[in-house]
Amino acid sequence: MSCKLPDKLRTTVVGSYPYFPEALKAFQLRRRGDRGPEYEALVREATKKAIMDYLDAGIDILADGEQRREDMAVFFAEELDGFEISEPVRIFDNVYFRKPVIAGRISWRREMLVEDWKYASSISAGKPVKVTITGPYTMYSWSFDKFYGNMRNAILDLAESFRKEIEALVRAGATFIQIDEPALSTRAEKMDVLIAGEAFEIMFKGLSNVKRITHICYGKLERLFPEILDFPIDQYDFETKNRNYELLSLLREYSFDKELALGVIDVHSSRIEPVEEIMEGIARGLELLPPEKLYIKPDCGLKRLKREVALEKLRNMVEAARRARETLA
Amino acid sequence: MRLHAGICGSFPRPQALRKAFDDLSEGKISDGEFKNVLRECILEVARLQEKAGMTILTSGLLSWHDLFRPFTMELDGLEAGRLIRFFDNNFYYRCPTIIGRILWRRPVTVDEVQEVRRNTRELVKAIIPGPYTFLKLSENRFYASEDQLLDDLIEALRAEVNSLRGSADLIQVDEPSLVDPELGRSERLKGIEVVNEFLSKLGMPENEVIIATYFNLDPERYAMLLDLRAGLHVDLRSTPAEADLALKEHGFDGQILSLGVIDSRSIYPEDPREIVYRVRAYLDSISPHVLIFSTSSWLDYIPYNEAVRRLDALGRVLAEAEVRFL
Repeated sequence: MSCKLPDKLRTTVVGSYPYFPEALKAFQLRRRGDRGPEYEALVREATKKAIMDYLDAGIDILADGEQRREDMAVFFAEELDGFEISEPVRIFDNVYFRKPVIAGRISWRREMLVEDWKYASSISAGKPVKVTITGPYTMYSWSFDKFYGNMRNAILDLAESFRKEIEALVRAGATFIQIDEPALSTRAEKMDVLIAGEAFEIMFKGLSNVKRITHICYGKLERLFPEILDFPIDQYDFETKNRNYELLSLLREYSFDKELALGVIDVHSSRIEPVEEIMEGIARGLELLPPEKLYIKPDCGLKRLKREVALEKLRNMVEAARRARETLA
Repeated sequence: MRLHAGICGSFPRPQALRKAFDDLSEGKISDGEFKNVLRECILEVARLQEKAGMTILTSGLLSWHDLFRPFTMELDGLEAGRLIRFFDNNFYYRCPTIIGRILWRRPVTVDEVQEVRRNTRELVKAIIPGPYTFLKLSENRFYASEDQLLDDLIEALRAEVNSLRGSADLIQVDEPSLVDPELGRSERLKGIEVVNEFLSKLGMPENEVIIATYFNLDPERYAMLLDLRAGLHVDLRSTPAEADLALKEHGFDGQILSLGVIDSRSIYPEDPREIVYRVRAYLDSISPHVLIFSTSSWLDYIPYNEAVRRLDALGRVLAEAEVRFL
């Protein structure tokens, strides 16, 4: 079953959704090393609820809500060979994550995302489900390196590992693959951007019938230009609302004409943006690109918000996109 | 030359405190119960520092959510705004948002410093954010004049330092923006001017104040820092080759030099002997009255258990240096 999507101003999400109680319980089991039937049932139930909320809000291109992932880096570190996990490290306020430690050569061990994608797609009412993967550069940056002592070698091994996963996903039928690289905007060095570009080549080169997406947020996105425009990417997913859409001027400077997923929701604030405010953001995006190339979505993943806040924000976002489409018509 | 050792600023929160923060925000414990846990954890971290051989102690800044937070919460005219990445770290601060006239009303950090003071005979260092970094990393929605903003900010920070004088032996003023590679030369010069103006308002001897920089040292930036009329902390680990060159080329003849020799953002094992050997290579170029071995920056970037190891390594650096240098 497939569902016809609007051809303009499609709505989507970056990936994560607030954790449901079932997901939190699953994390506890996982930490104890229990990944049996109860764990799988809990993850599925949480995923189902995330998908239902996305559908309830009216999102066009869904994700699975990342209910299996307690953390975007730790999840992959636990699935790949070569990693260990540290004690908790602070990210902000009193929010912590267990940072991966690279303790050996990184390699792909088994399929990590295929079953979750298949399940999410089976309950998505025919809407496409995007797969999100934490990118090699971010995986390296958010890990302690006790093995390589050489960023490029580690990142390229990560890219090779993810290429295997992407191939498995494509074989299964996935058509939207997003590589999340939030760490990329933290570095000033051009060398880092070039290494990330090599990694994208490894992961995405030669893929057909797949929308190749990268999500990058927070930090100094402007440092990535113009090199990032040469990456094998079809759609750039940026955080723009939080920085009052200043990034659009930069994109205009570089005559940006690829697809843009425009962040119109602040994910670090529990304030529900009114529909009119979101429409103003969409209008800013439409000054740069035609509506066919503009996707509407929150700045970043929603997992830090309360569920009811996240859902309400998404509903307003979908309504804003609908009204904007009407205005265009 | 006297040798000391002490961490640059924060120490990771013990697990009990992390839980207490969560419990407080969920209403499971009272303010009083939270403060008791905080006090116990400050003592735990102070004891760890003493045990590792630190001769300068901090409170570990355990209650601070970021460099600015206690001040954005306690000073008039400020509120904690959006989350912003702290330089190139996977660590975020709430942007201090200026919404009214900045005024100091009451001591912000004295309680935690006094807690350490009461429980140690070692030197105690208090930390405050510096006015230039505060200005650069905040968002002004109130002042029409940046000069007026700076006057009020400097006065508020001066009042805080004044309140710390009976409790702290050293005041560390954190100014990472002074070595921010994004700044041009004229902006950096302005930063030095702002900090020197602040120092002149403090009116404290040079051997009681340290301006702390971290993350991005190079010879040109370091040469400019030498115009500061205070002690200096520099990060030798984020850009090691440039930092070593800076010290060799430009030396140091001020009162206090604090060297960030232990990498606070990595858990790669440290070799105290190798560290001392490296410092020895430019010992002829530097002649501070007090040389402090320190962590390169705050320790919030690594887990608690790894910070304990780093602390131990720092103690061994001091012990090794005492044998090699004195």
